[in-house]
Amino acid sequence: METRKQVYQIPVGPVHPALKENLRFVFDVEGERIRNVDVNPGFVHRGIEYMGMRRNLIQVLYLAERICGICSISHPIVLTQAVEQAAGIEVPPRAQYIRVIVSELERIHSHLLWAGVAAHELGFDTLLHLSWKVRERVMDILEELTGNRVDYAIPMFGGVRRDITPEQHPKLFEMIRYYRGLFEELSDTFLRDASVEARTRNVGVLTAEEAHELCAVGPVARASGLRKDVRQDWPYLVYGDYEISALTPEDYGVAVHGDVYDRIIVRLLEVAQSLDLIEQCLRDMPEGEITSIPKIPALLAQLKKAEGEGIGRHEAPRGEVIHYVRLEAGVEGPVVWKVKAPTYSNLMPWRPMFRDQEIADIPIIAASIDPCMCCMDRVHVVRKGTREEMAKEDLLRLSWEKTRRVCG
Amino acid sequence: MTIGGVVQALREGVGEALPEPEVRVRTVGVAKPREIEELWVDLGREALPSAVDALLKLAPVHFSVISGRDAGEEIELLYHLAVGYGTEGGEVLLTLRLMLPKGDLWAPSLCGLIPGAETTEREKREFLGVEFAGLPDTRNLFLPEDMTAHPWRQDDEETAGLVRRTVKWEERDGDT
Repeated sequence: METRKQVYQIPVGPVHPALKENLRFVFDVEGERIRNVDVNPGFVHRGIEYMGMRRNLIQVLYLAERICGICSISHPIVLTQAVEQAAGIEVPPRAQYIRVIVSELERIHSHLLWAGVAAHELGFDTLLHLSWKVRERVMDILEELTGNRVDYAIPMFGGVRRDITPEQHPKLFEMIRYYRGLFEELSDTFLRDASVEARTRNVGVLTAEEAHELCAVGPVARASGLRKDVRQDWPYLVYGDYEISALTPEDYGVAVHGDVYDRIIVRLLEVAQSLDLIEQCLRDMPEGEITSIPKIPALLAQLKKAEGEGIGRHEAPRGEVIHYVRLEAGVEGPVVWKVKAPTYSNLMPWRPMFRDQEIADIPIIAASIDPCMCCMDRVHVVRKGTREEMAKEDLLRLSWEKTRRVCG
Repeated sequence: MTIGGVVQALREGVGEALPEPEVRVRTVGVAKPREIEELWVDLGREALPSAVDALLKLAPVHFSVISGRDAGEEIELLYHLAVGYGTEGGEVLLTLRLMLPKGDLWAPSLCGLIPGAETTEREKREFLGVEFAGLPDTRNLFLPEDMTAHPWRQDDEETAGLVRRTVKWEERDGDT
């Protein structure tokens, strides 16, 4: 009993995985320690690729937007890139800037959303409310620019559907100033808070080698010290013009641990990076057309004649998204459409992250990759050879209890 | 990383059997436009592990995903790899194309070389019915455990029946 108690009190931080999506983990635990994990996704598999291969390309674009509500610009941007390559469609310069601006706004809202969720899982609901309150500013801007808070319907094959008007520029600059003013406060509350650090430092560690071998992407890979960012490695749209650098904890002046804390650092740094990019794009954006084929029937006709294959890639807030399409003349839809979302690549890295961690840390480690298809609705814990079920409420309770223990 | 370096590594790995790679170019950027080249290479399945091994020795390799399709008598697999991440504009996008006859449907698993390949190989196994020699875990990943259908196969009656039943149940016109 005594030994178990000691193990139970190791001060590492639990966070919460209640991201409202379905995923099943099967953990092998010894006492309070996780020895192995089996990840079973697929509970929310909707057969979107199958559906897409039976629709015309413009319908597929709207379907792509609904792959994920948070990354609702990333998938359309990648699909348009792939189709534009396959069909040989040009994108006007102004449209390329607009795609980048909306993508970076999405990154800001996604990272702030994640910060709030992580804080909630740790039991710091004041921090959750702060993060989500300040996130409203970027949501308002997205609504102002696109008409929607999610599913922005901005990219179209050959360009974008809405321009950014001169009247909107001051609102965007004001938002940039607002977030820059908040950066110190957010860094203080997340990175210089002893409780957050106690609960996230050395928790869910993924070494650089593991991240590389398991093909981790996005902030997860960068927090492990890999300078891996599609915007840097493989220029597309106007990202190449700005020579983006992948950010790791070293850019914050600390050594790389590859733990949950480092994943917070990377995401906060990326919010600042996105603000810089948006500002530069707004200043550099040339006047001109926003689409090369404005008439939808003409676009559909051209797409129906197209023959070829194409790949699109984008650094979504959670990491690399890649789509492959194959078009055949006379067929309105893609003959093949393959979608790879970031969480797909970050499934395997969960295994080393969970190894030898505590049950109370399951929520924060699960949430630390910002999973897009995951919620611990049902966790099966194999304990002493029997299978018990723990609902997410139980895990959350464990997590909160641990915070109280750790922080006295 | 350059296209030339990747082709040379592939030649060293595969030998003379390497067919002439196809180079596709796209122009990106507005203020500083530049041409980004990508490689498409047809390979025999036996040559796949040695080709990937040669790439791993050359530079950091990111294995994105395998795309696949039912091409009638054969199954086509496309391995999307990015060679040489970590430097500005330094990554080469490479696609290796394998054509596998339906009568002898297998490919070598890359899990021994790139452990992260497991997710995508399991997915291709369940959706297209391709067996991967050396794949450590052959359970269904995204589909239900007991589902034996391969939904992306054109000749898959089980999926077609499932779709027909769903359409009938929803009482609306199906598109299949």
